[in-house]
Amino acid sequence: MKHAFLDEYSGLRSPIHQLDPRAKLVGFAALIVVCVTTPPNLYAAFAVYLGLELALLWLSRLPLRHVARRMLIVLPFILVVAAFLPFFSRGGGSYNLGPVRVSGHGLLVLWNVAAKSTVSVLAVILLSSTTPFPDLLRGMERLRVPRLLVALLSFTYRYIFVLVDEMQRMRRARDSRAWRGKWLWQSKVVGHMVAALFLRSYERGERVYAAMLARGYGGGMHTLYLYEPGIMEVGFASLVMLVPLAARIIL
Amino acid sequence: MHHRPAVEIKGLHYAYPDGTVALRGVDLLVEEGEAVGIVGPNGAGKSTLLLHLNGILAGRGEVRIFGLPVEKANLREIRRRVGLVFQDPDDQLFSPTVFDDVAFGPLNMGLSREEVAEAVSCALELVGLEGLEKRSAYHLSYGQKKRAAIATVLSMNPDLLVLDEPSSNLDPRARREFSELLQRTRITKILVTHDLPFVFENCERVVVMDGGRIVADGDVFSILSNEELLKKHGLELPYGFYPMHREMDGHRVEEDRG
Repeated sequence: MKHAFLDEYSGLRSPIHQLDPRAKLVGFAALIVVCVTTPPNLYAAFAVYLGLELALLWLSRLPLRHVARRMLIVLPFILVVAAFLPFFSRGGGSYNLGPVRVSGHGLLVLWNVAAKSTVSVLAVILLSSTTPFPDLLRGMERLRVPRLLVALLSFTYRYIFVLVDEMQRMRRARDSRAWRGKWLWQSKVVGHMVAALFLRSYERGERVYAAMLARGYGGGMHTLYLYEPGIMEVGFASLVMLVPLAARIIL
Repeated sequence: MHHRPAVEIKGLHYAYPDGTVALRGVDLLVEEGEAVGIVGPNGAGKSTLLLHLNGILAGRGEVRIFGLPVEKANLREIRRRVGLVFQDPDDQLFSPTVFDDVAFGPLNMGLSREEVAEAVSCALELVGLEGLEKRSAYHLSYGQKKRAAIATVLSMNPDLLVLDEPSSNLDPRARREFSELLQRTRITKILVTHDLPFVFENCERVVVMDGGRIVADGDVFSILSNEELLKKHGLELPYGFYPMHREMDGHRVEEDRG
C-alpha cells in the first residue's frame, strides 16, 4: 500500500530546497510568530507576509496544485469554525444582511483567523515540501530541540504508515467475514481492533528497542549532519525574519 | 583443522517474566567459520536462545562469545561482534532513511564521519542496495528490506551473523538473492528457521531444538535425511524434497580460513 508522504516534493532542486534545514526552521518559525502576534487590523502587514511566502513558493518551484491541495486539507477545519463567528459574536457595530445580523467584531475575528492560519499553514507547507523530513529532524536536533521529542517524531514518521497498513489489513480481514450488524456490536468490534493495534504497536516497540540494543544503542541518538550553513542560509533566515518584522513595526 | 569457539553455551536456562520456561539447559558450541542452522517447531526456544547471544536476554548458565562472557562489561564489544538480524525488517529498520539505519551501529560504535560513510557504502554495496541511501525503508520491497536489515549489521563488521527466520515471506527470487548474499558473507553464521531447504542450502551443521532443549546436533545431511527425527520434533521436509548428499566444497568457509 502506498501513501503520500508528508515531505512529498522535498527532493526537488531549488535554491530553497538546498538550504540548511536549520535556516528554514528558524526563518519559518519566526515568520509564524510574527504573523500570529500581528494585530488583525494591520492589513498591509498580512499582505507583506503572504507576498513573501508567494515569492518563496515561486523560488522553490513547487507545483501549485500540490500546495493548493495541502492547503485544502488543513484550512477548511479552521475556517468552518471561524465562519460562524460573525453571526454569533456581538459588538463592534453590526451590519444587516437581509434578515441576518452580522457583527463587525465577529467579522474582524474571522479575518484574523483566516489571515493568520493561511500564512501559518502556507509557511509549514513551504517548510515541509522543501525539506526531506529526515533532514528536518536532524536540523531540529542541531537546534537543540529535546532529543526525546526528535526521536518521537522520527519513529512516528517511520511507523505511522506501517500502523495504517496494519489497520487496513485488519479492516479487510473483518470485512471479508461479512462484517455488519448493530451499532453497538460494531463499536465493540472496533474497540477490539483498536486494542489489538495498540498491543501490536507495543510489542513492536519492544522488538525495535531490542534491535536498537543489538546494534550498540546506549541512550544517545547519533546522526550525521551533512549541511554547512553559509551566506545563503544567513541571507534566507534574515530575509524571512526581518521583512515580516519590519512590516509589522513600520506599517 | 582447529578453530577457536565463536559461541560457547553451557547449561543455559531461561524463563520469561510471566513464568513461561523457554530454555531448559542448553549446551552449544559453535566454532569460528561454521554455518549452523537451528531448527525446531514454534515455541522450541530458538528465538529466545538467539537473544542470549548478544545479551538482550540473560538467563542462568554460561554464554561466551569469542571467549568473552556475556555480561554487562562486555556488552559493547559483544554487540559489535555479533550482528543480530531480527525476523521482521520493519523492526530492524527504524530510522527515517536507509542510510541512517545502516549508520546506526557504526555511529554507536563511535566511528568518525568518514568511517561511518565508508562503512555504510560498503555494507550497501555488499547487499546490492547502492543508491537507495536516502529512501525510507517504508518504500522498499520486502526483499530489499530484508537485505537492508542485513546491511545494518554488516556495517558494524561483525564476526558472527545471527539471523532469525531469514527466508520468511520472501518470494523465490528474493530468497535466491538472499541465499547468495549469505554465501558471499564469509563469517560465522547462525540461522534460526524452520525452512529446512534453506538450511540445507546454507548450513553445514544443523541443531534441532524442541521444548527448550537441544535434541539433535549433526551435519546437515544426516539430520535432514532422518525422517523419524524430524517428525518427532514437528518438522518435515516439503513434499517432494529429498536431501541429496552433496559435495561440500563450494561454499565451505573453513577451507578458506585454513
